Amino acid sequence: MRGARLSEAGWGYGFVLVPIVVFGLFFIYPFIYAIYISFLHWGILGKQPGSSGTYNYAKVLHDPVFHTALKNIAEYTIVVVPLELALGLSLALLINQKIRGRNFFRSAFYFPSIASSVAITTIILFIFSANGLFNHIFGFSTDWFGDGHTVLWGIVGLNAWTTSGTVMIFYLAALQSIPTDVYEAAALDGTRAWRTFWKITFPLLRPAHFFCLVVFGIGALKLFDQAYIIGGPSGGPNYATMTPILYIYNEAFGNYDFGVAAAAGVVYFVIIFGLTVVQRLTVGRQEAA
Amino acid sequence: MTAQTADAEPYIPRRARSDVARRALLYALMAGIAAVFFVPFIWTVSTSFKTIPDSVNFTLIPHPWTTAAWHTIWRQYDFELYFKNSFFLAAVIVACNIFLGGLGGYAFARLRFPGRDLLFLLVLGTIMVPDQLRLIPIYVMLTNWHLIENFDGYILINLVTATNLFFMRQYFLTIPRDFEEAAKLDGAGHFKTFWRVMLPLALPAIGALTILQFQGTWNDFFWPVVLFSGNTSHYTVQLALQNLHTEYTTLWPEITAGSIIAIVPVLVVFLAFQRFFVSGAVTAGVKG
Repeated sequence: MRGARLSEAGWGYGFVLVPIVVFGLFFIYPFIYAIYISFLHWGILGKQPGSSGTYNYAKVLHDPVFHTALKNIAEYTIVVVPLELALGLSLALLINQKIRGRNFFRSAFYFPSIASSVAITTIILFIFSANGLFNHIFGFSTDWFGDGHTVLWGIVGLNAWTTSGTVMIFYLAALQSIPTDVYEAAALDGTRAWRTFWKITFPLLRPAHFFCLVVFGIGALKLFDQAYIIGGPSGGPNYATMTPILYIYNEAFGNYDFGVAAAAGVVYFVIIFGLTVVQRLTVGRQEAA
Repeated sequence: MTAQTADAEPYIPRRARSDVARRALLYALMAGIAAVFFVPFIWTVSTSFKTIPDSVNFTLIPHPWTTAAWHTIWRQYDFELYFKNSFFLAAVIVACNIFLGGLGGYAFARLRFPGRDLLFLLVLGTIMVPDQLRLIPIYVMLTNWHLIENFDGYILINLVTATNLFFMRQYFLTIPRDFEEAAKLDGAGHFKTFWRVMLPLALPAIGALTILQFQGTWNDFFWPVVLFSGNTSHYTVQLALQNLHTEYTTLWPEITAGSIIAIVPVLVVFLAFQRFFVSGAVTAGVKG
């Protein structure tokens, strides 16, 4: 028996060996290494001997471009997340009916979520260009994604649309877990549909609201692809599309300053981590109650 | 919009007539939304068959109809190569994730070894480490190992993800132990039990993993732009499309054709495995 136990343990370690090495080497170690690099002078001339102290951190925290990036991502997230949730929930409510062609509509609404961000952003840039299809139909002449005043809101619209399908899938799962006798009771009460929704369905979906808020909130804070594709690595026009992740990328591969890029990475990690903790303590506590 | 009591409808027969009207409205609304969702894609397909002068016109039917853009992008702009690159990376990474995620997931679900729970916690902890923090260290490491700008480095950092391992583990936990015990009685070792019995039983999980990981790798833009930007022969479809769009801003027939090439493989996989896709997306809780 003892031999079998030992052998089982041996096989167990053997099975998890490669995954553990991969996680250690490409997740745990980089996490520590990034913090280490953030305290070095590591610029275009390569790694310099000695510590830089808090120089890189001071540089990031006093950089107006980083401030712009934080301001942009705050505005973006605060608007895009409620929009994604509202759109996704509306789609889920539509799909969650006893109707024909349910699967077709579900796939149709989900489709933009699976299409590549590069392709879909490119297509939208085409349609919303100054002399594109959208302006032709609605009689505008704005270059929606080329104008610093509208570009961020353009990305909000684009991503609210493409993400709503994924949100819908999560809400659908949650809606299907609500027992139907809850509705039957409401119907016997003679409660109208709109009231049933606000008084019963919406509160019962609370775990789903919380889950989506966290998942899509963090997702929004990581905006990169669309910003890079639309505004380029330097976040143009005039930093209107600069986001924290793009800032890190640009410090590393535009300005070749790995020290500052690593410091910005640490700062942004702390910000997101802090937000998650605050959210757990406020919304999450209500959720648990 | 106000249609949440569908389940309850049979209990209110008086409303039967208004229900028909409500239903018609519902269909119209959903068809309308679906149409709005599809317009950009229909316009894209149409433009890819146009000539450049015609691509600025607002007619849906190309005049003249031409496949020139498709030929240009596939041959002259090397999308044939980029398509192969993307496909190769997605296939290898999906296979590695099934095998290693399955192997690790099985061990964490079923085998007993000291420190198992602690190691599993460590695995889950890696989900918290964001890409923006890994960016510089991984770039430096791969450069030192001469794995920058080649496929090996990209595959190495994507061999297995914690999400996939966790996903496989959760599925293995739902399989009754009887199957393993039967295999054990037949004298099968731990690896044979995993490979011949458990992995085939986990086919639904493998299906969902395949689709999500294929989508994730095929659509990935962040790491290819970091690792392959300096080497055009290693471009993926996404990177090539972004590059084409930056370089030739008004070459819309070619750019739209490229966009379709960038979407279609995932669309095909999605249509083929929809059932896995939806349940898998919820369980794994991710969109790349």
